[in-house]
Amino acid sequence: MSRQLRVLWQNRSKFRETSAVIEFGHFALALAWILALVGSLGGIWLGVRGRARLAHVELLRRMTIGVALCLGCSLVALGAAFVSNDYSVQYVWQYSNRDMPWIYKITAIWGGMDGSMLLWCFLVAAFAALVARASLAYPRPLAPALLGFLNTSPLFFTSVTLFFTNPFRYLKSAVAMPDGNGLNPLLQNEYMAIHPPMLYLGFTGLAIPYAFCMAALLSGQLSNDWIRLTRRWTLIGWTFLTAGIVLGGHWAYLELGWGGFWAWDPVENASFLPWLTATAFLHSVMVQERKGMLKLWNIFLVTLTYALTVFGTFLTRSGIVQSVHAFASTDIGWMFLVYLAAIFLVAAGLVVLRRRDLSPERTIESVFSREAVFLLNNLVLLSVCFAVLWGVMFPVFSEAFTGQKQTVGIPFFNAVNVPLFLLLVFLMGVGPSIAWKRSSLSQMVRTFAGPFVGALVVAVALVWAGITEFYPVLAYALSFFALMTLLGELQRGLGAQAAATKAAALSPMNAAALFRRQRTKYGAHLIHFGVLVMTVAITASMAHKVEREFTLATGEKFSIGRFQLELQEFHDEELKNYDSVQAHVALRSSQNGELLEVMAPEMRFYRKNKETTTEVALRMGQREDVYLVLAGIDESGTRASFKIFINPLQVWLWYGAIIMVLGGFVVALPLPRQGAVSVSEHGRSAQPA
Amino acid sequence: MGKVFISLVAAFVIIGAAIVFWATTGTSSLVLMPSELITKAQAKDLPRVRVGGRVVDPISYQTEPTMVLRFSVKDPKGSEQTVPVVYEGLKPDMFAAGRDVLIDGDFVAGTLRAAKLQTQCPSKYEPAAPGAVAEQK
Repeated sequence: MSRQLRVLWQNRSKFRETSAVIEFGHFALALAWILALVGSLGGIWLGVRGRARLAHVELLRRMTIGVALCLGCSLVALGAAFVSNDYSVQYVWQYSNRDMPWIYKITAIWGGMDGSMLLWCFLVAAFAALVARASLAYPRPLAPALLGFLNTSPLFFTSVTLFFTNPFRYLKSAVAMPDGNGLNPLLQNEYMAIHPPMLYLGFTGLAIPYAFCMAALLSGQLSNDWIRLTRRWTLIGWTFLTAGIVLGGHWAYLELGWGGFWAWDPVENASFLPWLTATAFLHSVMVQERKGMLKLWNIFLVTLTYALTVFGTFLTRSGIVQSVHAFASTDIGWMFLVYLAAIFLVAAGLVVLRRRDLSPERTIESVFSREAVFLLNNLVLLSVCFAVLWGVMFPVFSEAFTGQKQTVGIPFFNAVNVPLFLLLVFLMGVGPSIAWKRSSLSQMVRTFAGPFVGALVVAVALVWAGITEFYPVLAYALSFFALMTLLGELQRGLGAQAAATKAAALSPMNAAALFRRQRTKYGAHLIHFGVLVMTVAITASMAHKVEREFTLATGEKFSIGRFQLELQEFHDEELKNYDSVQAHVALRSSQNGELLEVMAPEMRFYRKNKETTTEVALRMGQREDVYLVLAGIDESGTRASFKIFINPLQVWLWYGAIIMVLGGFVVALPLPRQGAVSVSEHGRSAQPA
Repeated sequence: MGKVFISLVAAFVIIGAAIVFWATTGTSSLVLMPSELITKAQAKDLPRVRVGGRVVDPISYQTEPTMVLRFSVKDPKGSEQTVPVVYEGLKPDMFAAGRDVLIDGDFVAGTLRAAKLQTQCPSKYEPAAPGAVAEQK
């Protein structure tokens, strides 16, 4: 006893140095892990037993909510350590310093791997808690299994965080660190506050459908209730993921100075893969709801989607592929592989268990039916998914089979995916307008002849106007075709609504009534419209982009397209975190000399990191973006070199994305009250509330 | 399973596999470290390679009349052999000696002519902690 006291006394200085906030955060993380472990095992065990009392469900529900609360506390504790400059914590030291504005100290929480894993844990647990809140209303046999599976994802990620990437480790340094290493300059950007959380919301949201799916299989509750709830949660995850991916593209566009927004990098692709399978599921689930078909297919898609979110995390943290986005190689990759295997094995086992309940109620009768078009849409989306996955993993496959690592780049992804995407655009035009079961030739002619002729006219007009490349012409024509069919659908809907209410078809009241009555359908059309806007914008910005390099002395001019640029002056400034040099460049119309804007591309030198970055000057316009980068200034300080990009219709890419996200929320919200089902003490499910 | 379902899936699998095979064979590049590139090329030209390496001094960046970046890369760990690189284009942000880069290009006459140059994404650096290994709590 006296020896133990002596050791404690000798180590007293160490105890003094520990931070109460960090200890609290670490304790909350450990508590979350215990709750997730008990909740997961307990829920699945009760699901296997097939009966559970209401008290059991209530306990599991509280545990699930408790996991989220604990992880929230843990995240807040880490944030407090950042804001209070607690450099005794290794992670805080690595990713912040005193001069950083407080907002970047907050965003630095997910600036590195350890904190980003903690954020992931919290978000997945928060989604689980949201579902758990309503779990008492779910069918009794489903509820415990659902809560059990909801806790598996937080359990896995909390295990990784607690035991392998713990952000609460103390710095082992002989002396107290007066200042931190600092966050990388490129991450000191407002997009850091929104892009990673949005992406993680998307990834973690897609864990919920998997939990519903596995719980439905385990409990045998395979009616349409679970599929409706799953669709809504998939939509929520899908919408966040869409927003996250596009925000990443927008950030890259504004920050990286290469004038583009997507480079088919393995880690970018990793976020795109689950988006593709989730999109496929959102279409095929309608076939199951309406026709009782594709049940097995939908389970496969839900499982694959969840597995791909985990795979994305594995890809960035295992170091198996070279990517400019990959984290430093770590030894946690094997855990992700084991978890991935478990995801598929559990799904396969439960499918075998319930195989009799998964037989389709009907078969597809005709290729000219909506269900066949939706299936085609699924096949195209999965083909894109497979091609992208193949491209990402090709270095691994090639090394395994030939002994020589090879890779594929942008040309591969464009060669495979451009025709597949255009096929998707075509199907997007056909799918919503073709009849279920079987469409007659006369019906199809009536619906599609007009849009088809319109698309043909557009194609001829484009060729006549000088646009002769095959894919751009095809992309514009197909987008027009899909837009026409979409408008045709709207026109038919307005006509039917007007006939029922005796209102004028084109009156706002009629349109609002139609939208209220068929919110899901027209929300989906809104998403499709956003996709079409994006298709046109991407085609224009890729096919008709102009880029030039030039050097100007002060007072000299350079002309490009309908613009003229004049270098006016340089502006030096010393800021708290960095030194800045701006070149003030007057952008004028080359036709009448009218001053449009003074652009200020900038170079920054971050003193702490001794790193130079460029800040793009961007003039967004409805017709085109003028994107100006300051490449360098000569030693005399009077001449500067620039790179300029003229990106046609670029802004419409972001508008299209906003429309898609709005459409997603229109369809997904409000949260699933209509799917909730009342339940009695004896656990008999009743009608949806 | 209906006939339509099976026919559609089969057609897609066959066509998809053919497209992927065609695109792969036409666009793939060897992935090499700088030392491997030197060994593999044996003073010959080697088209379509991706090289991952660490930037070493000297770095020269000329902006007139066109932007040309000249530097060398070596293996991030191990061999000290260097490969000279020429990249015609804008110097990427955060490009500096000691930084890891990915280069896509052709190895011609002993020089790697880069068509694409990427520096490691900043979010993914793991700055080394001062002192010894940090204490695992």
